[in-house]
Amino acid sequence: MATPDLVTPAVPVLTENEQLAQINSDYTERYGFHDAEHYLYKAPKGLNREIVEKISEFKSEPAWMREFRLTALEHFYARPQPTWGSPMLAEVDYDDIRYFVRASERAERSWDDVPDDVKKTFDRLGIPEAERKFLSGVGAQYESEVVYHQINESLTKQGVIFTDMDTALREHEDIVREYFATIIPANDNKLASLNSAVWSGGSFVYVPPGVHVEMPLQAYFRINTESMGQFERTLIIADEGSYVHYVEGCTAPTYSASSLHSAVVELIAKPGARIRYTTVQNWSANVFNLVTKRAVAYEDATVEWVDCNLGSKLTMKYPSVYLMGERAHGEILSIAFAGKGQHQDAGGKIIHAAPNTTSNIFAKSISKDGGRGSYRGLLEIAKGAHGARSKVVCDALLLDEHSRSDTYPTIRISEDDVNVGHEATVSKVGDDQLFYLMSHGIPEDEASKLIVNGFIEPITKELPMEYAVEMNRLIELQMEGSIG
Amino acid sequence: MPETIEVCPLSELPPGEVRLVEHADLEIGVFNCEGTVYAIEDRCSHDDGPLVEGTLDESDCTIECPRHGSRFDLKTGRPKTLPAYLPVDTFAVIIDDDMIKLEVD
Repeated sequence: MATPDLVTPAVPVLTENEQLAQINSDYTERYGFHDAEHYLYKAPKGLNREIVEKISEFKSEPAWMREFRLTALEHFYARPQPTWGSPMLAEVDYDDIRYFVRASERAERSWDDVPDDVKKTFDRLGIPEAERKFLSGVGAQYESEVVYHQINESLTKQGVIFTDMDTALREHEDIVREYFATIIPANDNKLASLNSAVWSGGSFVYVPPGVHVEMPLQAYFRINTESMGQFERTLIIADEGSYVHYVEGCTAPTYSASSLHSAVVELIAKPGARIRYTTVQNWSANVFNLVTKRAVAYEDATVEWVDCNLGSKLTMKYPSVYLMGERAHGEILSIAFAGKGQHQDAGGKIIHAAPNTTSNIFAKSISKDGGRGSYRGLLEIAKGAHGARSKVVCDALLLDEHSRSDTYPTIRISEDDVNVGHEATVSKVGDDQLFYLMSHGIPEDEASKLIVNGFIEPITKELPMEYAVEMNRLIELQMEGSIG
Repeated sequence: MPETIEVCPLSELPPGEVRLVEHADLEIGVFNCEGTVYAIEDRCSHDDGPLVEGTLDESDCTIECPRHGSRFDLKTGRPKTLPAYLPVDTFAVIIDDDMIKLEVD
């Protein structure tokens, strides 16, 4: 059950349809372009101790972080490649990836100072315009590092920190050291070990007690070169009674060789705080997107993941919330669209570790043109978490005979006094639905889009207006089969 | 009176050393952390990982589970990092005439 304060004004999704239908650009044109390369450093392909040491040296890191990286590299080597989730995982070639590419000397605070090629990319993606119109702050990461970072001055005066992770390590080392890798340790899983060894960029956010960041903070992640590995690391700490909404987006050029995006995101919501984390993932169809995202919510805190996965070749991502304090609330809203050649293995995990905690997981997947959508989720209620309430709903929509949907829900309950609901549906766009709409003069393509829009509307209405419109536009492109 | 079991002479467990003790159906990890001896259940509360095979951080007085990296406070048994979130049992340690003993009730 959504808490009342989560409800944002409903976006007129269906009425946008006519306008959206006129957009006929494709992914390659809009996002799939790439720039000329004028890099300060481009690592050769392959992973070894030397490249890990070089990354640390480039960033002039403290000894403890260098040791953390090297230990993580050992964990990465020691762990076998996972065999669950998707057969596509076997295609990941860690030797054919560049682990560090530097495009700019530092994270600039003015777009004018960002190198021209890079700036043009972000102009084309509309990031500076979005910053002016409706954001409290922006970070823009290009390849391995953040090239631009800015935050509204009034927030800085209130003590809000929003910077790139490399700068945070230099300027706020004590806070970083206290929280870094406490939510996702270096040895959590093979991809988290890899990120921990070679991480670069990402965002650091600290919101002081009682401060509400009313407009979203946004980070945009862009891969430009071929066979690139992007390993950003994000840490968000919302202190007592504070609020922040962080939004991230990502795109890449279309290449025949694969790229790898493997982020680690850690969220900490202290008592009474609320963090909303929204992702619109739109990687090109040659990107493996293997991400670990985890949050902890203390007493009376709320964490919400709004996770929209449209792009990539394979996405494996299960944002989780550990409800550690009484009355904490976790919410996971997930949309996955799997088109031709794509596997979206998405879902979420909620762990109720304290009494009277509440949670919802709403997952929607759409599969088309032979794409595969999977819901994989965990709901766990620990002994002693009495009064816990949770609802899990996962719905799948198949648009044709060749597509596939799988559901892997796990529920573990170790307490008697709880209230748990689970619903799952798989439906196919039926001839009768299409016939009904077409009998009202709506062409078949348009009728399919209307059905899909209606299917995902409960989640897109939770997005800010600008992102809901973008999300609907992306769905339109997916429906036309033009992404990637 | 709680039942006590003998582990070994203190001289056989110098600082930085770890020992596994089995008693009835209990498996207990005994750790010498900068001269102070601690004993906790040898089973990570997340995925049953064998804690005695993990990395001991004497300065922080923690043991890191070798399976997924949760760090446990040896004094309290509480995890200081996820993915474990439940504490493991702790056992009182007595040094009696250079002999390390544990209260196991």
